Amino acid sequence: MDARIKYSLLLVGIGIILAFLPFSATDSFRLKSDELLSKSTSAENSLSVDQVARMVNKEDSTMLLIDLREAGQFKECNIPGSINIPFSDLLNPWWEGTFNQKNIKKIFYGNGDQTANCAWSIVTGLGYQNNFVMKGGLNEWFKTVMLSQFRGEKITPLENALYEARFNARKAFTQINSLPDSLKKQYFKAKEIKQLKLDGGCQ
Amino acid sequence: MSQIRNLKIIILIIGILLVLVIIRNSDRNVFKEKARTAVEATRNNSNLITLNQLKKLTSPYLIIDIGSEKRADSLQFQHAVKIAFSQLLDKANRKVLDEASGELILYADDIATTSRAWVILNQLGYKNLRILTIENSPEELKYKFQPDTTARLEQDTM
Repeated sequence: MDARIKYSLLLVGIGIILAFLPFSATDSFRLKSDELLSKSTSAENSLSVDQVARMVNKEDSTMLLIDLREAGQFKECNIPGSINIPFSDLLNPWWEGTFNQKNIKKIFYGNGDQTANCAWSIVTGLGYQNNFVMKGGLNEWFKTVMLSQFRGEKITPLENALYEARFNARKAFTQINSLPDSLKKQYFKAKEIKQLKLDGGCQ
Repeated sequence: MSQIRNLKIIILIIGILLVLVIIRNSDRNVFKEKARTAVEATRNNSNLITLNQLKKLTSPYLIIDIGSEKRADSLQFQHAVKIAFSQLLDKANRKVLDEASGELILYADDIATTSRAWVILNQLGYKNLRILTIENSPEELKYKFQPDTTARLEQDTM
């Protein structure tokens, strides 16, 4: 048999098998369901707003806050150091470089818990590592960091450290989000360039 | 004769590939849906059902309670099937999910757990799957940020 016919037959056969595959290898989860379930039940992939506040104060370069809300809401207010990846844009290949940074803790947040946990499951299921969720989202951030006040008579050193961290995070949040839009734009542009440098890209 | 031998090799290769594909597809632990389906349903909230909507639901449904171990009996749903989240994919529990007629309504004390469970089951191909929420819009920001105009003076600190 002619080699060309042989290879053609082989390719047609493989093509037919691939065409009938019920899932897409690139757009489907890479993890197996039991692996994702076991990761999902672990409490280690959720961070409290106090933990995030401490990271924000330290300007921790090993974390990346990902705000999943739409651009308008992000522009109105966001946690200092956040980048905006709207949930609807989560699967855009543009963000692959961001999710692929294995040594960076990607911390997802929305206004509540629903979007962030769905995003966490999707990104983790797709095989990206080091993903976290900020428990309670921005609603919890406002309640705990922005509005909490110590009301006791005596404060322990531990409580003092906690309230100081909240106060500093609140200050940073208020300062950055109170900037006029033009300056905010500059700030986020600078942040984007910093991010690109971390990714190994250029601007 | 040689042509038949060549054809046999091709059929053998295709046969092996076919067997591998069948083995992979028959693995119930492999996700088969596209991730985009989960994004779309979450984005337009079509995966949520409120208590009021549930009360009005006329079609058959089954409430799957995946996080109620510490909840008082008075706060449990009647006729709900209790499945611990960590055991959601156990063989017996998969059978319950497979055999349920009508919609599957996921419920837990916190929406974080149900959201994660929903993504897993959605990507495994379960249709008619919704999350029961107590709040009408769990993703609504309940607070309004008040900018501090004096903070502008510190802009040079950036």
